[in-house]
Amino acid sequence: MIELKGISHRFEIGKKGRERVVPVLHDIDLRIAESEIVSIVGRSGSGKSTLLNIMSGYIRPTAGSIHVRGRELTKLDESQWAAFRLANYGFIFQSFQLIPSMTAYENVELPMVLQGIPEKKRKRKALALMEQVGLAPYAGHYPGELSGGQQQRVSVARALVLEPPIVLADEPSGSLDSENEKQLLTMIKQLNHEFGITFVIITHDDQVASIAHRTIRLQDGRIVSNAAPRREEMPI
Amino acid sequence: MRTGDQFRFVRQNMKKNKTRLFMTVLATAMGCAFLIVLASVGFGLQRSIVDEMVGDRLVTAIEVHGKDTNVHETSELTGEDLRQMRSLPGVKAVTYRNYIGQWMNPSIQGEPVGSNSVLQLDFEAEKEAGFDLAAGSTPQADDEIVIGYHIRELPPVEGANGEIVSPGPEELPDASEWLGEKMAFEVAYYENGEKRTKAVEATVVGVAAIPAKEWERDKNIYVGEGVLKRIEAITGTRFGELPYFDKEPTAEQIEQAMSEMPKPEEERSYNRVNVIAKTAQEVKGISEKLREDGYYNYSIADELKQVNVMFLIMKIGLVFVGTIAVLIASIGIFNTMTMAVTERAGDIGIMKAIGARPSVIRRIFLLESGMIGLLGALIGTAVSYAISAAVNAGLPLLITALMEEKLPAEFRFSVIPPYLAVLSCVIALGVAVLSGYRPAKRATRVDVLRALRRDL
Repeated sequence: MIELKGISHRFEIGKKGRERVVPVLHDIDLRIAESEIVSIVGRSGSGKSTLLNIMSGYIRPTAGSIHVRGRELTKLDESQWAAFRLANYGFIFQSFQLIPSMTAYENVELPMVLQGIPEKKRKRKALALMEQVGLAPYAGHYPGELSGGQQQRVSVARALVLEPPIVLADEPSGSLDSENEKQLLTMIKQLNHEFGITFVIITHDDQVASIAHRTIRLQDGRIVSNAAPRREEMPI
Repeated sequence: MRTGDQFRFVRQNMKKNKTRLFMTVLATAMGCAFLIVLASVGFGLQRSIVDEMVGDRLVTAIEVHGKDTNVHETSELTGEDLRQMRSLPGVKAVTYRNYIGQWMNPSIQGEPVGSNSVLQLDFEAEKEAGFDLAAGSTPQADDEIVIGYHIRELPPVEGANGEIVSPGPEELPDASEWLGEKMAFEVAYYENGEKRTKAVEATVVGVAAIPAKEWERDKNIYVGEGVLKRIEAITGTRFGELPYFDKEPTAEQIEQAMSEMPKPEEERSYNRVNVIAKTAQEVKGISEKLREDGYYNYSIADELKQVNVMFLIMKIGLVFVGTIAVLIASIGIFNTMTMAVTERAGDIGIMKAIGARPSVIRRIFLLESGMIGLLGALIGTAVSYAISAAVNAGLPLLITALMEEKLPAEFRFSVIPPYLAVLSCVIALGVAVLSGYRPAKRATRVDVLRALRRDL
C-alpha cells in the first residue's frame, strides 16, 4: 500500500551562502501493507516526524521515491499532492490542529467541504460520525470549549469523515491523559479491525506502539529495527 | 469546494475582526464616493452649460432650410414634413416663423407701431422650444399677440450738429405698457378691381424676452394661426399676400394676378423651420437622420464637437483623479488582507495539511477582498447620490445667499449618470481584487509545517 524506496532527506540550515547541511534520513526503504498498523518509534531527532511529513507530502525528499496505492507521488505538484491527501489520507495530530474559529461540527465537515460534497450529505455524515465518537452533544462547541480528549476525538472524526484508506497519526496521544489515551487506542484498533484502515503512527510511547502490528525503530535517520508482526496481531 | 461554501467561509472570516473590516470598507466607500462625486461635477457642468445655458435653443436647434428635390417633389416644407420631424426620437419641438405677406400699418390707440415684421408662429411649439417672455403671457385666444422687446424703440434722430444719434436705452419706452392694449392692423385686399382695407384687432398679451445677442433688436409682432386666418379670410390669399404691380394695375390685371395667387386652403409652406432637440447630445443623430430623409439642415452643435471633446477629456481627468482616491483606499484593503493572512496562517496551514488546494485558498482570500470592494463601492455609490442631491439642492441657495446671483432653475452642479456609478463600482471592485491578490498569493505559500507548529 505504501512503499518508500531509498528515501533520504537533508535540511539546509543557516544564512544564505553559509548554509549547513543536516542529513536527517538515509536511504530508507519501507513497505507498509494494507490494513496494517505500523508504529514508527525513535528518539527525538531520529527522523520519524520527517519520515511522516514526507509520506504526507508536506516536504519533498532529497532522494528516493514514494508509492502509495500504486501511485508515484514524488513528482506531484503542490495542488496534486493536496488532492491526493484529501482523497487518501486522514490526519491525527498531537496538538489536534482544529480550527479554533470553527465549531466541532464545522471542523469535522471541513474535509467534505473541501471535497465539494453537498451540505445535506455532509451534515448526515458528520453528525453520524460525531455520534460514533460520542461527541454529538458537543457539535456546536468550539475547540476551546472542549477537553483535550474531546478535541482529539473531533480530530479523529475529521480524519475519518472521508473514509480514507490510510490514517497518518503524529504522536496522537501526546496531549492526552492515560484514560483518553486508552480510549483513543481502542478506537484505532477498532477502526482497523472493522474498516481495514491502515494506520501509520509516530510515537515514542510504548503503549501506543504496542497496538501496532509492526514497529519500526529509527535511529539517526536509519531504520535500526523493523519488527515483524506478531502472529496473533497480523492484519486482517 | 462549492461556491456557496466559499462565500460562507468569507462571511465567517469577515466577522472575525469587525472593526478592521468596517474601517476598510469605509475607506473604500470614501474612495468610491470621491470618484463618483468628482466625476459627477464634470457631467453636471457639461449638462448645465451645454444643454441649459449655452445650449438651450442655440445648441439644440437644427435649422431646416428646405428639401432635396432629388428625394422630394418640392423644396418647400409642408405641414406633413413638420409632423414627420416632430415624430423623430429626441425631438422636443418643431418651430417655424412665417411672414405675413403685407405690411398692415399696425397701430395702438392711433399711434403707429414701429415694427419690422409680423410673424406667424406656433406658440405651443415655441413655448416648448424655450421662447421666453419678458412680461405677460403666451396667447391663449385666437386674437392675442406678443410683441418684440424693442418694438417701442425710437428711430435714430438727427442731433444738433447734424449727426445721427440713437436714443439711449434709458429712453426706451417700456413695451410692457402695451400689455392689454388693442393693436389695429389695416389689412389690404382687392375687391372689384379696387384696393381696400379692413381693420383687424388683436390684444397684446405678452412681450418677448430680450434677445440673447445684445446687438439684436426684436421689433417683431408675433401672431398665432387665429390672426393669420382672419387676415387670409379678408385677402383670400395664403399668408395675406397681395400681388405686386410695377404701375397702377387695371381691374383685369388685378383679377388675373389674384387668380394666380396661392389660396389659404392650399397646402401651407413653412419658413424658418427649427427642429429643437431635447439635449445637445441628440442634435447630431437628429441632424443626420434629417439629412438621410432629404432635408437640408444646419446646427451649431456640428461646431460644438470640440466643446464636447473638451468635456470628455475633463471627465476622463476627473475619473482618473478619483481613481487615485480608490487606489489609496486599496492600500487599506491590502493591509487588511495581509493582516488577515498573517492571523489566519494557522488555519490556512491546517486546511492545506488536510488537503485544501492552493487555488481554493487563493480564491477565498480574493473573494474576501472582492467583497470588501463591493461593499465599499455600494455604500460609496449610495453616499455619492446623497451628496449629489444635497449639493444640487444646497448650492443654488448658498450662491443666492452669499453672492446674490441666481442660478438657472435647471442648473445641476453634479449629475451621476447610471453608467458612472457602474464604472466606479467596477473600478473599486477591480482595485480591491487586485490589492487582495498579493496577500492571497501569500496565503497559498503558507508553510504547512510551520503553520502546524504555530511558528508563523
